[in-house]
Amino acid sequence: MRIDLYALRVRPSLWLLCLSLFLVGCGGEGEQSADHAGQTGKPRIALVMKSLANEFFSTMASGAEAHQSQHSDQYELLVNGIKNEKDVTRQIQLVEEMMVQQVDAIVIAPADSKSLINVCRRAIESGIVVINIDNKLDAEVLQEQGVQIPFVGPDNKAGARKVGEYLAAQLKAEDEVALLEGISTAYNAQQRKAGFEEAINTASLNLVASQSADWEMDRANKVAADIMTRQPELKAFFCSNDSMALGALAAVRTAGKLGQVQIVGFDNIKAAREAILAGDILATADQHGDQLAVYGIEYALQVIKEGAKPSDKETPVDLITKASFTEKQANEKQAVE
Amino acid sequence: MPTGEKNRISGWVIDYLGLIGVLLLMVLVFSWKTEYFWTMGNLTNIANKIPENTVVAVGMTFVLIIGGIDLSVGAVCALVGMVTGVAAVNGNLPVPVAMLLGLMTGVFCGLINGMISERWRIPSFIVTLGMLEIARGSELLISNSESLHIGANIEYWGEAIPGIGITPAFFVAALLVILAQIVLTKTVYGRYMLAIGDNEEAVRLSGIRSTPVKVGVFAFCGFTAALAGLMKTCQTGTADPNIGEGLELDAIAAVVIGGTSLMGGRGSVLKSFLGVLIIAVLDSGLVQMLTPDAVKRIVTGSAIVLAVILDGYRQQFSVKNLFAKQLGS
Repeated sequence: MRIDLYALRVRPSLWLLCLSLFLVGCGGEGEQSADHAGQTGKPRIALVMKSLANEFFSTMASGAEAHQSQHSDQYELLVNGIKNEKDVTRQIQLVEEMMVQQVDAIVIAPADSKSLINVCRRAIESGIVVINIDNKLDAEVLQEQGVQIPFVGPDNKAGARKVGEYLAAQLKAEDEVALLEGISTAYNAQQRKAGFEEAINTASLNLVASQSADWEMDRANKVAADIMTRQPELKAFFCSNDSMALGALAAVRTAGKLGQVQIVGFDNIKAAREAILAGDILATADQHGDQLAVYGIEYALQVIKEGAKPSDKETPVDLITKASFTEKQANEKQAVE
Repeated sequence: MPTGEKNRISGWVIDYLGLIGVLLLMVLVFSWKTEYFWTMGNLTNIANKIPENTVVAVGMTFVLIIGGIDLSVGAVCALVGMVTGVAAVNGNLPVPVAMLLGLMTGVFCGLINGMISERWRIPSFIVTLGMLEIARGSELLISNSESLHIGANIEYWGEAIPGIGITPAFFVAALLVILAQIVLTKTVYGRYMLAIGDNEEAVRLSGIRSTPVKVGVFAFCGFTAALAGLMKTCQTGTADPNIGEGLELDAIAAVVIGGTSLMGGRGSVLKSFLGVLIIAVLDSGLVQMLTPDAVKRIVTGSAIVLAVILDGYRQQFSVKNLFAKQLGS
């Protein structure tokens, strides 16, 4: 009887052993090639992203992977992401893991503009090139820590200004307009808001409401509807991203004001394309999301190769209107012919 | 009776061997499969990664042993960091004083958890779920949802000890594990905790007041959450409003892998620590194998569920044991 009971005790631990062996084995199979490539002497670049469950970042990461497979003779790529946007601790750990792996460069989209600086400084001190993409690290803290980390990315403010000016050109001075902001603590939300505001002030428009809709479509729908109820003379919505532009569009449609209230967005997401082609959303900005990580990687390679002293680098933001699609189609047609 | 004693001891050995075996096996496989796993750099890296989870797992072990649960540790951890940050930056207090204030905040939250759940007989699941929201909300309120940079005078506490490469946090965590294990196994207080988790009514009927013990355990759990908050804040030199999300689940996972029963009455701090180590090693190894994040989560999830299956086996075993004893007598 007692022996039986012992068997029961031992067996589960054996199972655990077997299962972990199995899991570890599974995890290993597909990755061996990457492991072998570790000895080839090509620069190894780690991409430390935010949540890869977010389409924006997964697009960025797959853009980088595509670039790597085209230039596989030039560098190796290690892509890492965190569970959710705010998992700062996990991201710090990932940077540390990459330091252990002695990568040559880390291209990072920091989950927080201050908390990541300490670990990035340590990475730099251990001889790793660190490039900042997406969310710009805090300039004050960088200075205090005595490090320079180049930011490679789009100028959101200039982009928003461009889109805003395009919309302003369709309006008259003193027309009532509203601004839908992103999450107010996010750097790019602040930049886009500032860009729109510049355009609004330059054109002497009357900004009657400026509210956050948390980047979300549903939220923007409600906020936009509220604003239109309060300001029946409203002529336009400046939206800090396309999701919110689509939300505002739904509200405008419900209010039966399609064509009377103009909308612009930012990001050029696929979901907004139809509305832009139909002219319901007047314009948006394309910061080439799939290329954002690639710009960072290319710059990291350049720094590794030339040992250049890194400095900030601006990447293009393009104005997208209905015309840009027809132009593109025309170009493609020409190319085919 | 002596044979019974002997059986129990060998049973413990087998239990520990199971966890240590799994750990060694993982270390072995990862060292063989990846280039950098078995390097000094990575081992110190793992040592510096675990203190926060370790201290919270210690507090959580105690709470689970008395048959409770604390879902608020992650939020309390963030609140503590933010209180420390605000006290040091906006209040201009010396960093050690600010850190003390932070610790007191954590203990206070734990005390409230324990007292409310005892006074009104509310399951700790509900009370601590409420505390999660309250702590997270207060923290976002005082921080205005923005991270607050404290600077070099707090980073000083989080810096690796020169020559060893390990942060003081690791030693604090190790000390806490040892002390807590001693309290659990060698003191009356520890006995009471196990007894309360097993059968609170019986403890009360024996004339022991269970309330102070339970409130004490929740206060201690708040204290460990506060320690974790300070560790995280020292590491980055920044009070970040978003730290600690999901920390409660990470801690519960480690504790459960270590075999502490969710029903209370049974558990070991040392084994929870092994649970933390297993998760950390698994995680580090999978990162080095370039496992996609999604797969990592599947593997970690499987490990947790498997541990609970084992937990069930052990419980079944102890019931059988009970019957066997009764039949025998």
